[in-house]
Amino acid sequence: MFSFYILVGILLISFVFFFLGKNQAKKVAYTNKKKLHSLIHYYGLYSLLSSLIPTLGIFFAITICDDLLFAELIKKYIPDEVVNSKDYNFTIVLAQINNSVEGLIFGTPPEWVANAAAIWKSWVLKSNTITMAVCTITIFIFGFFSLKKIQYEFRSRNAVEKIVTSILAVSSMIAILTTIAIIFSVVFESIRFFALIPYDEFLFGTIWNPQFEGADRAGSGQEGLSQYGAIPLFAGTFLISIIALCVSVPVGLFSAIYLSEYATSKERAFFKPLLEILAGIPTVVYGFFAALTVAPFLRSSGSIFGLNVASESALAAGLVMGIMIIPFISSLSDDVINAVPQSLRDAGYGLGSTKNETVMKIVLPAALPGVVASIILAVSRAVGETMIVVMAAGLAANLTANPLEAVTTVTSQIVTILVGDQEFESAKTLSAFALALTLIIITLAMNFYALHIVKKYREQYE
Amino acid sequence: MLINNDLKTLDLTVGDVFSQNPRLKARNVSVFYGDNKAIDNVTIDIGNKEVISFIGPSGCGKSTFLRCFNRMNDTIDSCAVKGEITIDDENIYDKKIDVVPLRARIGMVFQKPNPFPKSIYDNVAYGPRIHGLSENKEHLDGIVEESLKRAGLWEEVIDRLDSPGTGLSGGQQQRLCIARAIAVSPEVILMDEPCSALDPIATAKIEELIHELGNDYSIVIVTHSMQQAARVSKKTAYFHLGKLIEVGRTKDIFTRPQHHQTEAYISGKIG
Repeated sequence: MFSFYILVGILLISFVFFFLGKNQAKKVAYTNKKKLHSLIHYYGLYSLLSSLIPTLGIFFAITICDDLLFAELIKKYIPDEVVNSKDYNFTIVLAQINNSVEGLIFGTPPEWVANAAAIWKSWVLKSNTITMAVCTITIFIFGFFSLKKIQYEFRSRNAVEKIVTSILAVSSMIAILTTIAIIFSVVFESIRFFALIPYDEFLFGTIWNPQFEGADRAGSGQEGLSQYGAIPLFAGTFLISIIALCVSVPVGLFSAIYLSEYATSKERAFFKPLLEILAGIPTVVYGFFAALTVAPFLRSSGSIFGLNVASESALAAGLVMGIMIIPFISSLSDDVINAVPQSLRDAGYGLGSTKNETVMKIVLPAALPGVVASIILAVSRAVGETMIVVMAAGLAANLTANPLEAVTTVTSQIVTILVGDQEFESAKTLSAFALALTLIIITLAMNFYALHIVKKYREQYE
Repeated sequence: MLINNDLKTLDLTVGDVFSQNPRLKARNVSVFYGDNKAIDNVTIDIGNKEVISFIGPSGCGKSTFLRCFNRMNDTIDSCAVKGEITIDDENIYDKKIDVVPLRARIGMVFQKPNPFPKSIYDNVAYGPRIHGLSENKEHLDGIVEESLKRAGLWEEVIDRLDSPGTGLSGGQQQRLCIARAIAVSPEVILMDEPCSALDPIATAKIEELIHELGNDYSIVIVTHSMQQAARVSKKTAYFHLGKLIEVGRTKDIFTRPQHHQTEAYISGKIG
């Protein structure tokens, strides 16, 4: 809460510097009796940004670092007998102390915990004072420094431009670094998994049957009980994705063609947003639509034809997933079809093609690379989709090509493995990361391929 | 009725709008974009195997009028055409007329070269294929070769018929588009500023080609360049603000314009 007040204080002071900067610029203009290089508000903006940004940086650095520092320092206050005991875990002890600091006390904590919490609290008070002091000093130093810089020769417009550019660059770096960090965290957990289970068993094994059996499989007397062959999971994923594509590619593509070529602009303005609403429905809603409506319907209509449809069939999940990804295909394809130059359509009509001939023989072939890219993006979306398959596809790891049977997918296995209390050292838990890594590699590869196709397509037209 | 209207138009247009051997006849044609009148009561004949240029300042409606002849304006929702245009005494705006064979009879070449992103061969073969003009592969090959020869492109592309048409130079692309248009053996070819995106050398080639094609086809060419009109066409029509001001032999229009607006345009006072 105190940090929040400091933050508000920083913002207010930097706003004051905005006006001070403007004032300073006016003064400079007045004394020089000449027009300044930039508009007045750029000088204010320069003062604001150059006082705000370093202060915010220092503020966040302190807030992040002090917790780490306290955690290191508090170790001294944990009694030796606790540290030396068999099931000592520093993370848990730290959580205990933190809870105590925040007043979340369950039962009577040991005396040393209360002591440590009291010490921690005193540190927090000190650190708050230090943070406030440091931030105040920083903001005023940088603020006044920026005011001093506002002279007649100073080009604040260019300076602001530079600052804004770097803010934008940092934002994009954050997105990229987060992706890399996620991939690395998955990679490291996967390495731990592959230390327990050989990668060829994982990649080529055909039986998926994970069991909890402790960290060390060898010598536990349970060898062979667990099996981590991921093939049934990937087979299930692809079976469902293929069913989904069989639904979404024709429907999505045809609706894109209708919207971009046949619909009047009024119809288009009405239908396109409606179609895009499909993309806005939460997948969990699709999930129970699949589980409660589509699956029973398939089961009952299957029994009419004497077919035995499992109540959690790949078909039900695939059909509903197909409906879910229709907007991805239709919206992207619509864009690429619209990007085909009107001159090509004119050429087609000018030669006496009908509308349908023009669309099928000229517009679609020209848009094909983009359409393919949209389909690949839809596939990677389908492969990574979780909620529908968790609710509608089941958990039985069958290796089958029959869409009427229950199959399971990579994502639904990850969910079942990681939901609930887990022992982090077991091969079962770690297998979730190996699955996730494989999935990431597959979808990344597909996205790269899609982008590559789109790029090639662009070159063709310019 | 028609005669009366003709008389009214004659009041507006100077020169000889009628042709002794007309292929296309436009009678009192007006074109509207919504409420905006783009073409106002134009009457003109396009003679058989005659090259005629439409000239005039930008926005005078010459392209719009050109697009009436093959009903390309149909593709624009807000566009409405009034009056009568006949080809061989058949009204092309009659409800019974199917635009598909009509557009095969009246070919079009556009301002910007617009080859399909297909091979050179497929570009030319497109029209004959959709209209079923060829009996077999050899026949189709023959049509493609003949069309490319007539467009003066055959020698340049003979060894790369399978490479994409978009890979050709601008002038070659435009000649490919002309080859594509004549592959369906049209009677009339409409050209909408066919050289405006080309360099002078490519332009010269296209003009030469138009000159030759004029022996076999009726050609209507819209152009911004008066020199071009003078070089390629026997007849010239001058448009101004949606009205047809003057029609006559090209030589006469450029040397002895009868209407003061034509004269102003020719001498560069309006442009």
